[in-house]
Amino acid sequence: MSARTTNAATTASTPGAGARSEKEIIAELLQTVSASRLTLFLQCRLKFFFRYVLSIPKPKAPALHVGNAVHAALKARNRARWLQQPLSLKALHDSYSAAWTDESEGKVDWAGAEAEEKAIGWRLFETYLREHPLPEDLKPDAIEVSIEADLREHGLPRLVGILDLVLQSRIIDYKTSSTTPNPERVAHTHEVQTSGYAVLYRHNTGQRELGLELHHLVKLKNPKVVVTLMPPMSDEQQTRLFHLMDAYQTGLQRGDFVPSPGMQCACCEFFNECRRWK
Amino acid sequence: MAVKLSANYSKKLGLPGFSSHSFSASVEVELTDLSQVEAQCQKLYQLLQQSVDHEIQQVGFVPGEFYGINAVDQSGNNGHRTQHANCHTNGHAQNGSGRGYNVNGHSRASNGNGGGERWNCTDGQRGFILRLVNEHNLDKQEVEDLARQFFGTGVRELNKMQASQLLDELLAKVGQPRQTRHRRQPSSSQPQPAVAS
Repeated sequence: MSARTTNAATTASTPGAGARSEKEIIAELLQTVSASRLTLFLQCRLKFFFRYVLSIPKPKAPALHVGNAVHAALKARNRARWLQQPLSLKALHDSYSAAWTDESEGKVDWAGAEAEEKAIGWRLFETYLREHPLPEDLKPDAIEVSIEADLREHGLPRLVGILDLVLQSRIIDYKTSSTTPNPERVAHTHEVQTSGYAVLYRHNTGQRELGLELHHLVKLKNPKVVVTLMPPMSDEQQTRLFHLMDAYQTGLQRGDFVPSPGMQCACCEFFNECRRWK
Repeated sequence: MAVKLSANYSKKLGLPGFSSHSFSASVEVELTDLSQVEAQCQKLYQLLQQSVDHEIQQVGFVPGEFYGINAVDQSGNNGHRTQHANCHTNGHAQNGSGRGYNVNGHSRASNGNGGGERWNCTDGQRGFILRLVNEHNLDKQEVEDLARQFFGTGVRELNKMQASQLLDELLAKVGQPRQTRHRRQPSSSQPQPAVAS
């Protein structure tokens, strides 16, 4: 554990950490890794430390809340289609509203814009329904399924993750975004996640995925959906992912939690804690 | 006036292949007066339990590796019920190997590939499914049907991903939905205006 990060942390309350020591928490984090945790670690190790080791509580971001509610409605739609009991728009809206009122991940500071954000999220979902109906004869392979892959043979932690939708051996991940994704960069910027999902899929089905898709639901005045199609994960991509997982493991073992100052700091919820880091 | 005392003892145990068998024994005796009831009950209970326990160890026919597959293929339905005198079997899985679990819900020591006990999912998933079935008295045939409804295959044939999905469904069914929601980071790392033009 870096003494420097500990110094920075003393200014933060850590109710989420409970009675466990940092060492115990890190030992636990070394057991498993998810794509989002790995991505955050690679973006900024100090931010990772604040969020996952110290568990410094922060208000839930509005964008995250909207995303969760939209995901809940998508899950309800997909599950109903799977059971061949399609839901009415009202029933889907009920699912959306139920997820919206769920504050188990913390309250959101809406700054007076909750109703507007809720309407935006729902419009986003409706747009997706219109533009991407699930063909009636298509049955999903999996919906929001939690799976894991034991990578001990590679000397790596267990990989865990949730697949939003698997349809005809294609892995589909939903994303809500306020900006239109750059088609040339999106495959690269999401590679940790997509490769992670491919590894999970292969380990849990014994099959190779036929492809991956990112479905971006973009929150514009006129919402739109951008679908990025990607081929199955290549061997090179898997090697890259494993190298990154190895870096995660080594970094955690060394207590290597240094900041990565840059443009992304402008919207970091741990900006103040980071400024106090020595 | 003679007093009639009827005693019945019944036991139901799980068997491989999502099936089970039960056996019951009844006796009727005549007593000369009511003061004999308590002692006779005790005696009959011990006798009947001993008899049922002895007989129920004979499991008779147990579905084998590919039991019923042809029937399913031809008829399109899964599962059937057969009834024999004093012995009811329910929910024969139509998809292959048996696996053991007893009335207490403890699956046999398992490597998932024991004699005729092959499941495609992990031992942990298998144990979890069986534990849910036992602890919440789920109908094994319903669980089998659920697997077929979702995946078109029987429980034992589910791969790890499908078994995880089935577990989600079973947990929701028993009122313990698995928390699958997770922190979804917004796709963009840039500050997110409510609406961008």
